This record gives sequence, C-alpha cells and structure tokens, in this order.
Amino acid sequence: MDKYYLLLGIVLVFIGIFGIIIRKNLITMLVATEIMLNGVNISLVSVSHFLGKVDAQVMSIIVLTVAASEVAIGLGLVVSIFRLKGYEASEEITELRD
Amino acid sequence: MELLVFVVISTIAIASALGAILVKSPIHVMVWFLGFILSVAASFFALKADLLAGLQLVIYAVAIVVFYVLVITTIPWEKVKMFEGFYKKEFVFALPAFLFTVGASIYLVINSRLSNLRQPLPKDNVSALGTVLFTKYIAPFELASFILLIAMIGAIIFGKEKANG
Repeated sequence: MDKYYLLLGIVLVFIGIFGIIIRKNLITMLVATEIMLNGVNISLVSVSHFLGKVDAQVMSIIVLTVAASEVAIGLGLVVSIFRLKGYEASEEITELRD
Repeated sequence: MELLVFVVISTIAIASALGAILVKSPIHVMVWFLGFILSVAASFFALKADLLAGLQLVIYAVAIVVFYVLVITTIPWEKVKMFEGFYKKEFVFALPAFLFTVGASIYLVINSRLSNLRQPLPKDNVSALGTVLFTKYIAPFELASFILLIAMIGAIIFGKEKANG
C-alpha cells in the first residue's frame, strides 16, 4: 500500500516539473512549485509510514517552512516584476529562460 | 478499504494538480490548488501523520492560499493579460518525456522490493513527532526558523522598495 503513495508523490513531482516547463504565467509557475513540494511531502510521509519511524515527518515539516518562505519571497518578486515591467505580461520576462 | 481510499485520494490529487497547471485564469488555478491541498491532507490522514495533516490544512489551505489570492487581487488584470498561453514547442517536447518518466517510475516502483523492516508507527503521532523534533533534529529546526527570518526580512525589503518607488 505504501508503494502506491510513494508512486503518487513521484507522479505529482513530475506534474509540477511539467507545469513549470509549459506555463508562461508566473503565478501558475509558483503553484507548480508548490505541487512539487507537496509531492515530496507525500513521498516522505509514505516512507515514514513504511519504516514505522517519524523521522521523515520532521523533514516534511522543514519542507513546509521552506514552502512558506518560498511563497513570501516568490510572490514579492512577482509583484515587483510586474511593477518594474510596467504591468505588461510575464511572457516578456525570459532573461533566464533563453 | 485502504485501496478504495487511495484510489479516491489519488484521483482527486492528480486531477486537481493537472487542473491547476492547465486552466487559464489565476483564480481558477487557486481553486484547483485548494482541492489539491485538501487531497494531500487527506492522504496524510490515511498515512497516520495527523500532525502533518493539521499543519497542511492550517499552513497551506489557509495561509498560503489566502496569500496567493491577496496577491492576485493586487495585480491590475485589466492591464495584464490573464492568460498568456503555453509554450507550444516546450509542450510538444515535454509531453512525451513526462509520459515516459511517469511510466518508467510506475514500472520501477511497482517492481521494486521495499525493505521488510515494517514496524508499527507510534500510537501518539504528535508526541512522538515532537520528541524527535526537539531532541534529535533540533539543529535543522533552528535552521528552518532562520530561513523564515531571512524570508521575512526579504519580504519587508521588497515592500519598502515598492513604497518608495
């Protein structure tokens, strides 16, 4: 049974990577990052359930704090970018992509 | 029964994750994302990680989603394009790679043999997790608080720049 939850976590990480690759909207890309982090969390918790130890859940809590700070910084950056570029569109921000 | 719970949870999780990365409007993305978060919390309950499920509900489903919605409402959507489309070439190349990696990982995980060290989890999840967190993993815990402090300082700096300029 734990195998299937591990598999669910892996598939969710790949869905997140796929979303980051194909979308242009910055907020949707941040949401895809969150999906990846949640997939990692499910994998950690399923391993914890499998081994009967709670150590992996501690790492999952640390992933939660990293996700919270990532949202704070990432959304601040998104608003700053929109303000700096004069509210055009996020598809013009391709300096790191090209 | 466990299998039924897993099928329901995983169907909702994968469908809402795909919805979150494929729909057009950012607000609709947040609604799909909320469904995704709730299904992840349900899977934590099914895996007997009660404290993490509660934290997931409190931190993600309340704090982070509200924060996203707040930021989405501050962006003037009459000036910004709501839907900018997909990267077509990347989509064409990424879809086969995505399907291949998913298929390969399904094959590998189903055919793998996990270790036989199966022990029952402690009855009281919260006290067991708290004991481990504050004794064995106290250094990563303090580092995590430091990360949060740095994130707070960074967010304040971004806000100040906006107020000045």
